[in-house]
Amino acid sequence: MNVSNLLKYCALSMAISAAIAPSAYAVTPDDQLVIGMSMDNLLSLDPASASGLDVVGVNSNLYDMLVELAPKDASQISPAVAKNWTISEDGTHITFQLRDDVTFHSGNKLTAQDVAWSLQRVLKLNLALASTWKTYGFSADNVEQAIQATDDYTLEITLPEKTDPKLILYTLGSSPSAFIIDKKEALKHEKNGDLAHAWLTTNVAGSGPFELKDWRAKDRVLMNRFDDYWRTPSEMKRIVMRHMTESQSLRLMLERGDIDVAMGMSIPDIEALKKDDDVRTEADIRGTLYYVAVSMKDPKFSNKKVREAVRYLIDYQGINDSIMPNYGVLHQRPVKLGLPATLPEPGYALNIEKAKTLLAEAGYPDGFKTSIRVLSQLPFINIATSVQSTLAQAGINAEIITGTGNQVYGAMRERNFEMLVGRGGGGIEPHPHSNLRSLVYNPDNSDEAKLTNFQGWRTAFYSPEINTLIETALLEKDAQKQIKMYQDVQNLYDTQIGAIFPISQMVDTVLLRTDVKHYEGHQAATTRLREVTKER
Amino acid sequence: MLTFHLSNSRIKRVLGGLSSVAITLLGLLALTFFIGRVMPIDPVLSVIGPDADNSTYEQVYQEMGLDKPIYVQYFYYLNDLAHGDFGNALLTGRPVIEDIARVFPATLELATVAIIFGIFIGIPLGVYAAVNKGRTVDHIIRVISLFGYSTPVFWVGMIGLIIFYAWLNVVGGSGRVDLAYDGFVDPVTGMLLIDSALAKDWDVFQSAIKHIILPAFILGLNAVSFITRMTRSFMLEQLSQEYILTAQVKGLPKHVVIWRHAFRNILVQLLTIITLSYGSLLEGAVLIETVFAWPGFGQYLTSSLLLGDMNAVVASVLLIGLIFISMNLLTDLLYQVFDPRTRK
Repeated sequence: MNVSNLLKYCALSMAISAAIAPSAYAVTPDDQLVIGMSMDNLLSLDPASASGLDVVGVNSNLYDMLVELAPKDASQISPAVAKNWTISEDGTHITFQLRDDVTFHSGNKLTAQDVAWSLQRVLKLNLALASTWKTYGFSADNVEQAIQATDDYTLEITLPEKTDPKLILYTLGSSPSAFIIDKKEALKHEKNGDLAHAWLTTNVAGSGPFELKDWRAKDRVLMNRFDDYWRTPSEMKRIVMRHMTESQSLRLMLERGDIDVAMGMSIPDIEALKKDDDVRTEADIRGTLYYVAVSMKDPKFSNKKVREAVRYLIDYQGINDSIMPNYGVLHQRPVKLGLPATLPEPGYALNIEKAKTLLAEAGYPDGFKTSIRVLSQLPFINIATSVQSTLAQAGINAEIITGTGNQVYGAMRERNFEMLVGRGGGGIEPHPHSNLRSLVYNPDNSDEAKLTNFQGWRTAFYSPEINTLIETALLEKDAQKQIKMYQDVQNLYDTQIGAIFPISQMVDTVLLRTDVKHYEGHQAATTRLREVTKER
Repeated sequence: MLTFHLSNSRIKRVLGGLSSVAITLLGLLALTFFIGRVMPIDPVLSVIGPDADNSTYEQVYQEMGLDKPIYVQYFYYLNDLAHGDFGNALLTGRPVIEDIARVFPATLELATVAIIFGIFIGIPLGVYAAVNKGRTVDHIIRVISLFGYSTPVFWVGMIGLIIFYAWLNVVGGSGRVDLAYDGFVDPVTGMLLIDSALAKDWDVFQSAIKHIILPAFILGLNAVSFITRMTRSFMLEQLSQEYILTAQVKGLPKHVVIWRHAFRNILVQLLTIITLSYGSLLEGAVLIETVFAWPGFGQYLTSSLLLGDMNAVVASVLLIGLIFISMNLLTDLLYQVFDPRTRK
């Protein structure tokens, strides 16, 4: 055996592939949309328990909702399965008239009974997505009275507690719990009174523009066009979603045209692809916020001056310029960008000297030791590193404790943290209450209250004045007065120095091949693919 | 022809082997279960998400049986296992056994192709290096071997994708098949090459070959390096024996001396090396599976671990234990085939 033969032998394996296999698809088929994305959080398809943005994007194409919110201006509500609706004078009843031409994938007619049952089971199962409804006063005990089908095509919702009915409409148009399930089909698969929860975890009984062909966790989702869809059926015969977490792989496949849409890519890869004429980017602003939080259970951070010092020890501009491009845009208010009630940015900036003075006044002239809990992923870890370095300049020695989402937010729910870099804050509904309820509101600050779904409670920030104002604003019928009240809440939160310091409004950057048309990313992640086409 | 006689001593040996297997698996089960229960990961939060309220948390906590003492949970788990129930996975909502039956064939297919690369590249390289000991080619092979052993597969995977997929277009990208072919072939064995051949869907078959070549080759690099180094070492030992000198003096052709005389005598040792390598590959290669979006066993186990999904973790660890035990048994069996001295 000589060297040349040996080299030939070693090269044989690679040559085989080139010799026997034809070229892969140069581009994806004209009638299929191929999406590469992370499915890390896609654990269940059941509308009662499927939380997370990924699953909303999937279910939005398999199920219908009563109403839909416009992709770019979510405050615009448009009819969907409900062709119209009326709100009673006193704002306690909403009556929906449903279309009579909607059929489920099973062939069953969609009726108001299906809608009522779908919403009732969210409360009865009391899983992840019941939280929002419970904050409106719905419960497993009252939901059958509160949400009723008065005939086949009329649904009536009676609000158990006074609230802003717009908020209910926004929830019906954006919450993953508001998808309408085929009651008859689902109940065929009920086991031990589970309202088909086990079956719906991996199966779909919807009426959306696509039918689920196959879902394999952390592998793929295959959807086929539903030809009997009540709107014009999609031009795409098939949607293929593939679990891909490695950004470089996504980039290579998008460049080659093996995928049409890529989500969850790293910043360097996004920046590199911006120079590619065959690829375009679309940035969708989400309702959630990136923030630094402190626990007011900790004696240091219960001191208002320390919190104020922390406010001046965050390099907002630097973080947004260097870490957050394609992840978020600068925002320092607890109410998301783009709402009429959102105040202009307060303009907080890094100011080490001011922070040092405040720390000295608070009794910590030499700083102190603390810890920052943070997810071990981008951009969180980079934000934490930046905050750690600026805190150090004022003598605060912060140890970074990394963990999974489970560990970081678990500790926050237990009120077992000092500082934390995280993301959250509701904001799915285009209403200030959505953010404020999640980030600021805390009606009972005792440990026993365990209001773990409120980040106000988790951080132990408690302001009766703000709580009352949030509750009052929700019931205010005069739009201008309501806006003023929400602005007052933001000003008060600033004055009282809340425990959460917003840094950025979340942005989801999606990359698409330029031949993909009519793809409209949705602020609430309910991105519908029924109108997507390819122009080649 | 080989014949095996069942004697008392053989039966005792088999029973002894089986009982040690059972004890090993039980030990593994207990260890994994208890470690899993004290890990700082909350499986309830994995299910309900970070924003659910406390009543939902408490409800799911109880439904998962986590309110009971750990030893009670363990006995419940053993009871379920005794009935063949490994529980459902949090990740998929399906029975763990179904999940493993789905993801394991993907890894089996990848690891099998990888070990074939390992054998057909590693052995000739090792033999060639041994025959040319001390020469330039020997040094080159040793450097290549060291490179394969020490270079992170993650990095090699990315470079491989850039060169062979993006630039040369001779292999497929991520995944087991071109995305547009996804779901075209119904799973029978779960191994796409076999299933597509059975379905006579040759487009999918060719696409599957293009997709498996690169990850399998890169995954096999480690095995290539290991096998090359061990083959070289075994061969050097044999080539220094007197019977080799005798064969050379008899005027036998070089290839006969190498392959029929020296190589045959290292087969048994090589078997151990190959089966151990194969066992490691079957554990699942998380990084390769991540880079190539290969929905295999490694990814499944890692995801389950991060979620605190202990039903899936315990079953997966048991499977790994079984793989290694099976590999050892297979090695013992093959010893008897290739080495007459072990048949007594």
